[in-house]
Amino acid sequence: MIIDVKNLTKKYKELTAINDLSFNVKEGEILGLLGPNGSGKSTTINCILSLLKYNKGSIKIFGKEIKPDSYDIKAKIGVVFQDVAVFEELTVYENIDYFCGLYIKDKNTKKKYVEDAIELVGLGEFKKFRPKQLSGGLLRRLNIACGIAHKPKLIFLDEPTVAVDPQSRNNILDGIKKLRDNGATIVYTTHYMEEVEILCDRIIILDKGKILAEGTSDELKKKAKIEERITVEINNLEEKYIKEIKKKENVDDVKYDANILFVTYKKGKNNLLELMDYLKSENINFNKIYSERPTLNDVFLELTGKELRD
Amino acid sequence: MFVHNFKYSLKTLFRNKTLIFWTFAFPIILGTFFNMAFSNIENSEKLDIINIAIVNNENFDKNEILKEAFKELSDENNEDRLFNTKYVNIDEAKALLSDGDITGYLNIVEEQPKVTITTNGINETVFKFVTEEIMQQTGIVNDIATEQIKNEMISGNINIDYKKIYKDAFEIAQNQEAKIENISSNNLSYTMIEFYTLIAMACLYGGMLGMTAINQNLANMSSNGKRISVSPTNKAKVILSSVLASYITALIGLAILFIYTIVALKVDYGNNSPLIILLSCIGSLAGLTMGMAIATCLKASENTKTGIVISITMLGCFLSGMMGITMKYIVDKNIPIINKVNPANMITDGFYSLYYYETLERYFFNIISLLIFSIIMIFLSYISLRRQRYESL
Repeated sequence: MIIDVKNLTKKYKELTAINDLSFNVKEGEILGLLGPNGSGKSTTINCILSLLKYNKGSIKIFGKEIKPDSYDIKAKIGVVFQDVAVFEELTVYENIDYFCGLYIKDKNTKKKYVEDAIELVGLGEFKKFRPKQLSGGLLRRLNIACGIAHKPKLIFLDEPTVAVDPQSRNNILDGIKKLRDNGATIVYTTHYMEEVEILCDRIIILDKGKILAEGTSDELKKKAKIEERITVEINNLEEKYIKEIKKKENVDDVKYDANILFVTYKKGKNNLLELMDYLKSENINFNKIYSERPTLNDVFLELTGKELRD
Repeated sequence: MFVHNFKYSLKTLFRNKTLIFWTFAFPIILGTFFNMAFSNIENSEKLDIINIAIVNNENFDKNEILKEAFKELSDENNEDRLFNTKYVNIDEAKALLSDGDITGYLNIVEEQPKVTITTNGINETVFKFVTEEIMQQTGIVNDIATEQIKNEMISGNINIDYKKIYKDAFEIAQNQEAKIENISSNNLSYTMIEFYTLIAMACLYGGMLGMTAINQNLANMSSNGKRISVSPTNKAKVILSSVLASYITALIGLAILFIYTIVALKVDYGNNSPLIILLSCIGSLAGLTMGMAIATCLKASENTKTGIVISITMLGCFLSGMMGITMKYIVDKNIPIINKVNPANMITDGFYSLYYYETLERYFFNIISLLIFSIIMIFLSYISLRRQRYESL
């Protein structure tokens, strides 16, 4: 076990930010901490990193309890914080070199690691640029490079893709996959469910400092009471048809808004074909029609009654 | 790691345009303005002899020390002559003042000298300042003379020469304290006072460098601090190397300021170079540690803290005479404790004592005061810095 958190509780005066949290992270996996803003993801990471005091619980990393002066443990950890943490006065290369130098003493090794990090995040053309000359996406990539240049065994990535353009996001996600392929264990926090679905081996859904659900993406989706959602584009659908569809077998809910019909099914097969047949039989013209499996957002919605990005 | 962090701290400091402006450029710009504004005034003021009147009544006649002092300061053969004194009665003094023939007049009422002036200006300040100084001397002379008379009586001498005792006491007092002759035009060299406070200001602006050193390394101050805090580095080492880089940057800034004022502005700091360097280094340390204490003890944004450092520095310099020597005089006379705890005044006064006093007693008093100030600031910083984990970030 790389990380073992037991009964962690952190309070800010009256507010309980983390409430009796227990989880672990296995070697080589990517664990996703998924939750809305304020759910306790960053606080959990800050406690694990021994930056924050906590009221109760124990935290072990690499089998040892972590303390502020646990330099042997810290040497194996890389952190990419949510806020960009770079020096405005240093170039891209100097920033990575500085932070890498806090871990790696040998000059030649450090030089190689810095070059590797630059290549990993695709900043080769921008080595001599200052941070303020970089776009938001490139800056995020620099932020990641500074956190992982020393080739840590355990990496914490705290919302690394916030406010990033799609190209940079893809680049970042590819880079994270490469890190995992190279043997790193990763704790990834985000409120973007698509990212955890793509990246994470295991997901913990957090809200108000508590674990709501834990498992693989498929395991979590099974917890949703719906199995299928069908979306159809129909102009001016009459109310009587909506009522008819609601009465059909396995239908959980029907909504019609802005010429889009949403039908959710508790279970069943061939729901899409049956719906299409019904619409044809009633001579209802439709444009697009597609079926989706439930998302993690549906799971979160069911567990909390609110959307992940609320 | 120490060298690695030190090297990058120097790089970030020297590339930080805001810091470089306040610590390097601003004192030079201000110094240039001072030179332009004050040098002409001083040259003309130095040559002025101030017209005053003294009410020659019985009280004045009895006060040997005042009589002697003003006689000396009004002597035409004296190179340091300061006053052109007329001895008149009270009505004549009032008439001379209202006609604008004199700067003011001195009248002793019930043994208390009273300086009457109608406006506030340089000459009026000089007249008041000198009178106050003489009265301080009078107190010292009286103490010495009383002691001497007591001794004469105890030893059984019945023919005591009171006049000689007072004359001797006056000479002793002159040697013990600031010489009255020295409280002349030299003492009120505006340009020198301005440059002393300018250096004090440059020293205290080192506070911004100290603040930056702290801000960049602490997890509760900046994102970079968070990143450094999770690295396997000893917190004390990182902070020490950053503070050292800040201190060296501050000293380089001061050195440039000194070179500029000496070479370009022709400022004469006297012949005590090692002592001047020592005072500047310790003054700079006081500024640096003040910035560290503000950074660690106050919960505010970086901009607010920078504003506080600038405000404290400017207020301290103002009270120690940057915008006019009268302020230093007023504070010294009325609320002396302020200048005793004001680091800008400790630095200014240290330079002042080197320039005007023959002994180093006052200089070292200021050096020790600055060191005590720095130790207190370091202690305050230490209390906050020793925290390993934070309640919130």
